[in-house]
Amino acid sequence: MVRKIATLLAITVACALGVTGCSKDPMKWDLVNITGIMEPLAFSLTDDHGQAVTQDDYRGKVALLYFGYTHCPDVCPTTLARLSQALSTMGSDADKVRVLFVTVDPKRDTADLLKTYTDSFGPQFVGLRTDDLDRLKAFNKRYRVTFGYGKPDADGNYEVSHSSAVFIFDQQGKARLIAEATDDVPAIAHDLKQLVSGN
Amino acid sequence: MNLSIPRRVRFGMLNNVSRRILLLAVLAVPFAHVARAADVEVKVDNARIRLLPGNLPLAGYFDITNTGKSVVVLEGASSSAFHHVMMHRSVRSNGQSEMHHVDSLELAPGQSLHFEPEGLHLMLMHRTRKLAVGDQVPITLMFEGDRTQEVVFTVRGAGTQ
Repeated sequence: MVRKIATLLAITVACALGVTGCSKDPMKWDLVNITGIMEPLAFSLTDDHGQAVTQDDYRGKVALLYFGYTHCPDVCPTTLARLSQALSTMGSDADKVRVLFVTVDPKRDTADLLKTYTDSFGPQFVGLRTDDLDRLKAFNKRYRVTFGYGKPDADGNYEVSHSSAVFIFDQQGKARLIAEATDDVPAIAHDLKQLVSGN
Repeated sequence: MNLSIPRRVRFGMLNNVSRRILLLAVLAVPFAHVARAADVEVKVDNARIRLLPGNLPLAGYFDITNTGKSVVVLEGASSSAFHHVMMHRSVRSNGQSEMHHVDSLELAPGQSLHFEPEGLHLMLMHRTRKLAVGDQVPITLMFEGDRTQEVVFTVRGAGTQ
């Protein structure tokens, strides 16, 4: 009994101190919970219609942030396909989600190319870009990731290394979850459903 | 070579050198067939291409099994539908993704390899023609010893795995 009270007390204190993963949040998450660990969503970029946008344009939506590039044949479309499949299980709630595909290859990824690319995954997908590499680096660094360019081949093609994580923000722009390559469609769908219902 | 000529006539009418040449050729025929049979001793399933818009590089995926009795070495692929086809492997470390070139892949007898999302894939670059979902695209897999096998890949939508 004494031990039980002590445990309860310890949990209460931990929660009061804002330790994540404990009971302030009664929901069970399949993805990695980053509530309180990562910075809130904040950026100033151009969307795939050529319009200047900030995080405020996506307030009220659950935002999924991914750093990739369109000339990526395997990992990027695989990640976006998984997100697309998760969204397709959500019915009308899918409209409460936006996938923000931030290109780390603005040299090749024009607004037009980003538009056709993101459209092929669904109406919730938005391409974002900036030609300012310092701003792009700072935006990556904010989420503790980076990107880099490989040596161009004889045809001028080059590969890009980039973060494999999808950072997930709630309707208020607070960082909540990370989806990794190992997370499957049901896990992503489960957590997105919880987030759009305001949890 | 016309094998319908009766042996008696065939050999009887030829001089010694011609006979030897013919004999070698006749002997070579069954061996050539054995070698060709070895070419196709792989089983390829689930061959598909994920379509992306414009002329963006695409990924080709498939499962391959060595159904023969000797080691098979996959050295690359080519297709009339693309200017370049390369074997790549996506690698993830410390939360970063990158692609590595793969020169060759060895398959022991009975061994299977899976070209699948976020792993091994064919990188298909610069389309020579427009592709649409549902198209059947032949790709030739190239093996050590100048051996090849043509595989038909099905084009699938961007939102597929």
